[in-house]
Amino acid sequence: MRYQSQKLAREYFWAALPLFFLQVVFGILASIKYVWGFDPLLNSIPFNVARTIHLNLLVFWLLLALMGATYYMVADEIQTEIYSIRLARIQLGILLASGVAAILGYFFQWSFGMPFLEQPTLIKVVIVVGALIFLYNIAMTMFRNHHQLTGTTATLLGGMVMLAVMFLFGIPFMPNLSTQYYFWWWVIHLWVEGAWELIAAALVAWALIKLTGVSRRRVEGWVFAEVVLVLLTGIIGTGHHYYWIGTPHYWLWWGAIFSAAEPLPIMLMLVDAVRSLLKARTLATVNTMALAWLGASAFVHFMGAGVWGFGQTLPQINRWTHGTQITASHGHFAFWGAYGMLAIALMYAILPEISGRKQRNGAEGLSFSAFVCLNLSMIFMVMALLIAGIVQVYLQRVMGLDFLEVQNQLRLWLAVRLVAGGVFTVGAVLLLGDLYRLARPLPAAGSA
Amino acid sequence: MTTSRSILSVLTIISAVVFLGMTIDTLRKLPAQTHSDQISAQVVEGKRLWQHYDCNDCHTILGIGGYYAPDVTKSYTVRGDAWLRQFLKDPAAMYPTGRQMPNFHLTDAQVAPLLAYLKWVSEVDTNGWPPAPKGVARQEPAGHAIFLAQHCNTCHAIQGSGGTLAPDLTHEGSRHDQAWILDQLNDPRSHKADSIMPSFAQLPGTEKDELAEYLVSLK
Ligand code: HEC
Ligand code: HEC
Ligand code: HEM
Ligand code: HEM
Ligand SMILES: [Fe+2]
Repeated sequence: MRYQSQKLAREYFWAALPLFFLQVVFGILASIKYVWGFDPLLNSIPFNVARTIHLNLLVFWLLLALMGATYYMVADEIQTEIYSIRLARIQLGILLASGVAAILGYFFQWSFGMPFLEQPTLIKVVIVVGALIFLYNIAMTMFRNHHQLTGTTATLLGGMVMLAVMFLFGIPFMPNLSTQYYFWWWVIHLWVEGAWELIAAALVAWALIKLTGVSRRRVEGWVFAEVVLVLLTGIIGTGHHYYWIGTPHYWLWWGAIFSAAEPLPIMLMLVDAVRSLLKARTLATVNTMALAWLGASAFVHFMGAGVWGFGQTLPQINRWTHGTQITASHGHFAFWGAYGMLAIALMYAILPEISGRKQRNGAEGLSFSAFVCLNLSMIFMVMALLIAGIVQVYLQRVMGLDFLEVQNQLRLWLAVRLVAGGVFTVGAVLLLGDLYRLARPLPAAGSA
Repeated sequence: MTTSRSILSVLTIISAVVFLGMTIDTLRKLPAQTHSDQISAQVVEGKRLWQHYDCNDCHTILGIGGYYAPDVTKSYTVRGDAWLRQFLKDPAAMYPTGRQMPNFHLTDAQVAPLLAYLKWVSEVDTNGWPPAPKGVARQEPAGHAIFLAQHCNTCHAIQGSGGTLAPDLTHEGSRHDQAWILDQLNDPRSHKADSIMPSFAQLPGTEKDELAEYLVSLK
């Protein structure tokens, strides 16, 4: 770490991590209701409230973590202090306050009522203000030393701007549900298969350059190809959500063809990561945990988004699987691999730099246990959901049994998901402990 | 290198422009495909209530949302107005056991717009989704279909399939005649003062007749 303002990253990570833990707790709460027919919390925390909070916290902690990493990365790339530490702290305060207000509101039916975008309009506006402060702060930092502007930082800024612009389409109330969902997907799909992919590609590239010693020229060439292919396939690929929502039939062709190509850039990212990681073996010292999380993230990103996504993206298949536990399996696998694991990798990369603690200080056992616990249990969760989903599609959509009758048949697999979720929660606690250990300042101060 | 870069960049920009063009075309065609002339003030109010109560994080609608509760895209067609009206006012009365929907204590003034909204959604042209099941197209008497559609089976079983909360109806025809059963449907409390069976008085007369005929036939 060269610039004091890079310590901002740690503040953002500190805010993000407890929210990650809470997200998981509400996930457990929601999944208990699937297994246990009787729901004592039916009138205090019903399923929809638990799910809403689970989803909001997910998006929230990921964005905070990615923003924190961005502050660190931009200062590093542009070689200057961040334009304003004060603004960055105000931004964090605004976002935290709006998040807490939103979540408290959900207990009192204060909701916009669209999945993922349940924040009441007033809170959405405040979130936009927070995002604008962020964009301003990052843009001003880049202008400070603009001849240092790299392809990677430009991509990152581009992704962040796209993220903010897309969010706007989720704000208005539209009388026609089909129109409302048409633009809802501009947020949900064009985020995870557009803007966030750009942000991820840029941050991964930066981390690979930092951690593995591969040449910038090579990595940036790859980033360009990845980003262009993400947009080329992903924008019209939005059509894979326009098959059945009252939109014209031609989307079945356009959506299928373009979204079927979406795994391509994700595969490039995987190949890119593997090649760089192989290179890292030649280095004398390596940040093992950061590299482990980065590599695993590239792999799970490819499996969860690329393979699981492709598996249900053709209309002939999606017609049967649409809106079932198969979707939930894909949602978890993809979000975890592409963004959850990436956020954790960046924390492992950045926190030791800020605290001055080296990775190898006798606690690798803890790092390793957290890694295994989280990833293994996530694989079990995703597999259980996939099996539950296949059984559901067969009994409900193919055989025509009643929804609730089928849900009874799924109980075993949803119980497996719950148990795996328990292990995941243990993993989350281990992770928090390990990152706390890494992030504490060294006792002898003055390490820079 | 640079030329291939430029070509790719231009293609990407073209794809974004094409997407915007398709969006404009879709928005032009959407009113016909979704019968937007049917979106009355009441339907809009129904959508507002649907969002206010965050129904969408338990239920999917058009296949999007929470997977905990049934997709409601076709509920209006499958369950019918009368059943839904009664269900929304007191879900537990219709489904006393198992997975529950909270009672939102909806007033008549709220149920009506919600039903208008569900009716509108059920008529949206969804390119054939959800697909018709391929399985067991057993030949069933019409009355049995009503029995299932009205969810009598959450409480009653027939030939081993259904709930255990209420009497098994496998041999109902040898216990009661058609008139008695019609009374039971219209006012369960006429036979048992503290009956927990909901009244089905609002069902259309023909459906009640078919249902009663069917039950009488079960000897
Ligand atoms: C906590 C989760 C939850 C919420 C919130 C919820 N529901 Fe339900 N809903 C259910 C469940 C579970 C069922 C299945 C029947 C049962 O067990 O009561 C159901 C059944 C239904 C049905 C019957 C569907 C069918 O075709 O059989 C309709 C219609 C419905 N709900 C409408 C609504 C509306 C309107 C709202 C918002 C005002 C709402 N629900 C909110 C859980 C929920
Ligand atoms: C909420 C549970 C519930 C639902 C739903 C329900 N019933 Fe009932 N039903 C009962 C109970 C309990 C009894 C036993 C007598 C009583 O308490 O009224 C009963 C009694 C009956 C009887 C008389 C049985 C006998 O031989 O004593 C008939 C016939 C009947 N129900 C038909 C129906 C039909 C048809 C439907 C659907 C349209 C239906 N029930 C829906 C709970 C229910
Ligand atoms: C990192 C990238 C990705 C993430 C985080 C992600 C996440 C999600 C989530 C959360 C949903 C459910 C949305 C809802 O609530 O309805 C979803 C749906 C879907 N995703 Fe992805 N996804 C990613 C990439 C992909 C890719 C690359 C493909 C295709 C190749 C794909 C195909 C689909 C399809 C077809 C659906 C709709 C499922 C349905 O009909 O129910 N996804 N995705
Ligand atoms: C203990 C761990 C977890 C449990 C028990 C859990 C449980 C759940 C449940 C019950 C739902 C609601 C699905 C439905 O509507 O039926 C859900 C949704 C979701 N969760 Fe989790 N979750 C956990 C961890 C995570 C993690 C770590 C992530 C991402 C990094 C995540 C991402 C999501 C997403 C994207 C959805 C929406 C899925 C969709 O709409 O298709 N969850 N989760
Ligand atoms: Fe998508």
